Amino acid sequence: MPPITTALGVDTKAAVEARSRAVIDALEHIAPTHVLWLPSSTLKAVIDHVERRAQEGAYVSFPLTREEEGIGIAGGLVLGGAKPVLVVQNNGLGNALTALTTFAQPYHLPLLMIVSQRGGLNEYNSMIHTLCERVDDILAAANLRFFKLDERVPVERWSTSIAAAWEHALMTHRPVIVLCNLLF
Amino acid sequence: MSQLTRFDALKAIAAEYPTEPIVVALGTMVREMLLVGRRDSHLYVLDSMGLVPAIGLGVALSPAAQAFDRVVAVEGDGGLLMGLSTLATIGLLKPEKLLLVVLDNGVYAATGMQRTAAPSVDLCAVAQACGIKAHDIAAADELATALREARQRAGPMLLRVAIGPENRPAPYFLPDPVELTLTFQRYLALDAEQAPST
Repeated sequence: MPPITTALGVDTKAAVEARSRAVIDALEHIAPTHVLWLPSSTLKAVIDHVERRAQEGAYVSFPLTREEEGIGIAGGLVLGGAKPVLVVQNNGLGNALTALTTFAQPYHLPLLMIVSQRGGLNEYNSMIHTLCERVDDILAAANLRFFKLDERVPVERWSTSIAAAWEHALMTHRPVIVLCNLLF
Repeated sequence: MSQLTRFDALKAIAAEYPTEPIVVALGTMVREMLLVGRRDSHLYVLDSMGLVPAIGLGVALSPAAQAFDRVVAVEGDGGLLMGLSTLATIGLLKPEKLLLVVLDNGVYAATGMQRTAAPSVDLCAVAQACGIKAHDIAAADELATALREARQRAGPMLLRVAIGPENRPAPYFLPDPVELTLTFQRYLALDAEQAPST
């Protein structure tokens, strides 16, 4: 697990646990056929759950080597009638940008990306702010639809919001990104 | 022994797999495949260099793949090198349906024949190290045989086909990509409906 207490002493343990549970509840509701993931220390509980559920046969779960690879594989799965969900960290969204804008967007592929929002308030790794704090602007410039979940959204609303984002992807025939800030 | 051209190789792939899904990489690959013949079973990837093995992997893992002997992904050497780490994911997941054909001319032919790193890489050895069956192909009869045998042997399999660097003149292909999605999706769904239930 990540440092649950930030460098300046803020205890995030309860928030990370409750929000991880909400993400897990959303995944259970969506019932994907495949979960494609890259790890984030704040997503550890989510990915552990996904791997456990895959062992039980709920769906197929596997690690990616890069984010853009995930867009390609998930796109192929969608074309063939599957229902994939991607779980990655926002620090790697730059890697996915070309694949999202040249494949998922123009080919009208509904993909849901659950993305851990790192950087910003309560972040404990000084290096990670560099890209992560600019992700909103990057996504907006790329005309990629995204929704944000953080402490301003009651945790009770997280699960339904993520499920709604999946429906929004289907409704708009486009990739949708949910930026989930588990730390703030 | 005369060297294979890209067009020869694409023609052989389309002839051996006339009904299987084929994911085709961008640029001259797509345009020459259209000269061979446009088909609803083909997904023409107009951009997204390096992503074709990943897209092919996704289709091969999807429910629609059950209706077909193979899902074919056709990539160039430059494209494969750009998405090389996907070989590790293919090796991890071992999709039996996936046949990845790499047309290797050692150059980025569409952009002016700039060299790639492929001549210094044993692509088959890389694939094999990832747990993928792989074969080097240099001649037309070898290619026909390998494509035919690939249908019988459970994959994943990579065929690295040495081709010449020339491009066949072909017009630009400028569709709305969503048209390509819908055509390919309908083709896959249609065939999936006709597949015997297992």
